[in-house]
Amino acid sequence: MTQRPARVPEWARAALSEVFDPCCREKGISVVDMGLLRSVDVQAGHARVELLLTSGWCPFAARVLTEVEEAIAAHPGVDTCQAEVVWDEAWSTDRLSPSARRKLRFLPDPVAVGDRDAYLASHPTPGGPP
Amino acid sequence: MIGDAFVFDGVAHPFNFTPKNAYGSAGEMFTNHLYAFHNVLTPENEPKQTAEEFLKEWTPDDIRRMVYDHSDTDMLVAMPLPLTDLFRDGLSPWETCAELATRDPDRTVFWGSVNPLEGRRALDLMERQVGEFGAKAFKFYNVRYDYGSPFPWRMDDPQIAFPVFEKAQELGINLIGVHKGVPLGPQPVEATQTWDMDGAAAAFPDINFVIFHVGLPFIDETCWQLIRFPNLYASLAATINFVVRAPRLFAEILGKLLFWCGEDKIVYGSEAPIWQPQWALQAFKNFTIPQDLCDGYGYPQLTDVAKRKILGENLLRLHGMDVESTVARLGRPQTH
Repeated sequence: MTQRPARVPEWARAALSEVFDPCCREKGISVVDMGLLRSVDVQAGHARVELLLTSGWCPFAARVLTEVEEAIAAHPGVDTCQAEVVWDEAWSTDRLSPSARRKLRFLPDPVAVGDRDAYLASHPTPGGPP
Repeated sequence: MIGDAFVFDGVAHPFNFTPKNAYGSAGEMFTNHLYAFHNVLTPENEPKQTAEEFLKEWTPDDIRRMVYDHSDTDMLVAMPLPLTDLFRDGLSPWETCAELATRDPDRTVFWGSVNPLEGRRALDLMERQVGEFGAKAFKFYNVRYDYGSPFPWRMDDPQIAFPVFEKAQELGINLIGVHKGVPLGPQPVEATQTWDMDGAAAAFPDINFVIFHVGLPFIDETCWQLIRFPNLYASLAATINFVVRAPRLFAEILGKLLFWCGEDKIVYGSEAPIWQPQWALQAFKNFTIPQDLCDGYGYPQLTDVAKRKILGENLLRLHGMDVESTVARLGRPQTH
């Protein structure tokens, strides 16, 4: 079900692979792996970046936008960059990369669990061995 | 009541958004965040307030009108914000909340709130809030800014947290809420995660702890705690307001909670006046988890029984109130 962000050049994906939302920094999940990136478009040296937020609550949005702009503007051929949050599409967990999914979702899907109580009794740590 | 569901709203804050109330840019930033939340999550077909309308001092009458006159809410928790490091009066002063509760003593419940870092002063204020103002529970916030930068404390800290829990028990209180997730301003995210709830729940098995804003973010972590401790509960306050704008996201959060924690451990809150309560209540009443999520992931469906528990019955039980007699006494026929 994972959807890779559309309209994102590889160089931009690489440039943003070290940019983190503060909620994900300690887990090492970049804005790319979180699926926040929708598009990067460069016209005449000006880059426009579209980002989705995981929730409208995020008070760190301004900081993430600045870090994204700095990372993109550092690329050769890009003079200026404007990063914008877009609201016409909702972020969903389908946008997580496989690595982000592994880091963030340590509880298995219920369909893989079957009997919840038996799972709990046999797993002292979530997702760990019985 | 909405349909046959008694509605006990677990949180409304009479905010004081007047500009002079904020301490500097951090307070202003937080105020603007809240207005942005109002704008972003209020559905397109619902009235949105202008900044001038929203950023004011909300009175007890304003809150009463919004919750009781303009929605099918039957009971309410008047909940203070003790953010005295960001706002001169804390943003939602406990005295105003106590006053709000006196307007409808049968329907509105006052929760107290203090800053545990204040030590003896906090304990004394707890005594006053319970003894003089009838507080039925307490709500805590784990990050302070008193020393000029974020200063977090943990719910499992024996020196800071446990004394206020012990004081609560001494005062006959066994219900404590805690703000988690959703950073309030530039907070260290670690302090808004839920891992410290293990220690609190284990050390105080006779206190029921309600974790607010589940799934925003940290849903898997929170589920893992809720599963293992019978005295941990999940509040959908703010989470429920994604029901219209991001229904599949909301369905995933709710589906996980229903499977791992069960319908008896989930409670509702409106966060009025950030959002007018009725649209989310109506949307939740009509909500079902998309069948492909139930089939694909194994989430249980949201039943009418579960809706009744989540919207009111569970919170009544947490307040030690009899469901049947309270619903008969205070349930109002749906009018919206």
